[in-house]
Amino acid sequence: MTHHFILRVITKLLIPLILLFALYVQFHGDFGPGGGFQAGVIIAAALVLYALVFGLNTASAVIKEWVLLVLIPLGVLIYAGVGVASLLLGGNYLDYNVLAHDPVHGQHLGILLVELGVGMTVAAVLTTIFFAFAGRGHRDANGNLLPHSALSDEIRNRKDGQP
Amino acid sequence: MMFFVTVIALFPAMFLALGRAIVGPTLYDRVLAVNSFGTFTVLMIAVLGFMTDQTDFVDIALTYALINFIGTIAVLKFFVVGDFGYEEQRDQ
Repeated sequence: MTHHFILRVITKLLIPLILLFALYVQFHGDFGPGGGFQAGVIIAAALVLYALVFGLNTASAVIKEWVLLVLIPLGVLIYAGVGVASLLLGGNYLDYNVLAHDPVHGQHLGILLVELGVGMTVAAVLTTIFFAFAGRGHRDANGNLLPHSALSDEIRNRKDGQP
Repeated sequence: MMFFVTVIALFPAMFLALGRAIVGPTLYDRVLAVNSFGTFTVLMIAVLGFMTDQTDFVDIALTYALINFIGTIAVLKFFVVGDFGYEEQRDQ
């Protein structure tokens, strides 16, 4: 038996659908509402839901914090790299037309890469903010997350507190 | 016309939920009221989308439903446990 059985089952059921919807928003952004920022927020929402239900330690085992800290600049680098690539190919900064032989294909490729970078950065930043916010009191002096058994009594006793 | 009637019918329900969120004697009344208000908002977005023939609104309604669920979980966890990162332990 575990605590909150229904919540755990529903969460496990819901997270793949949330991630699928995030991918839909990401790649359908050319034709409807959506795009990189919104998709990143939805991916971060899935990770936040996982961390809320299964705890911060489990969530940081799913996605390591150093991975998030790599993803943040990597997304910005992809965005800026597309701009520099179009500069080097003879266009203006972020001029997608020169990225492929056909300007229409260039536009598709450019917006896809740029939105990918935006999505990565936004998802990683929002998840990092949540981890930093929820991890207060859960870290040792070096900033590493403490295992549950090592948490201070104050935090572990909060569970018994009545609202 | 049918969608318009639905929008009109949703308003009293939303105001009742809002009233319960303000009056609600306990925390759980307020959480439930805010959750139902969010559900009504999802319905409202979907109905308004179909009324104005903008079917893209269904995407927004879906997103709102997901965020509403996660927000409710977060509020409940914060008030019951007092800590967002707390890890539930298995019963012995």
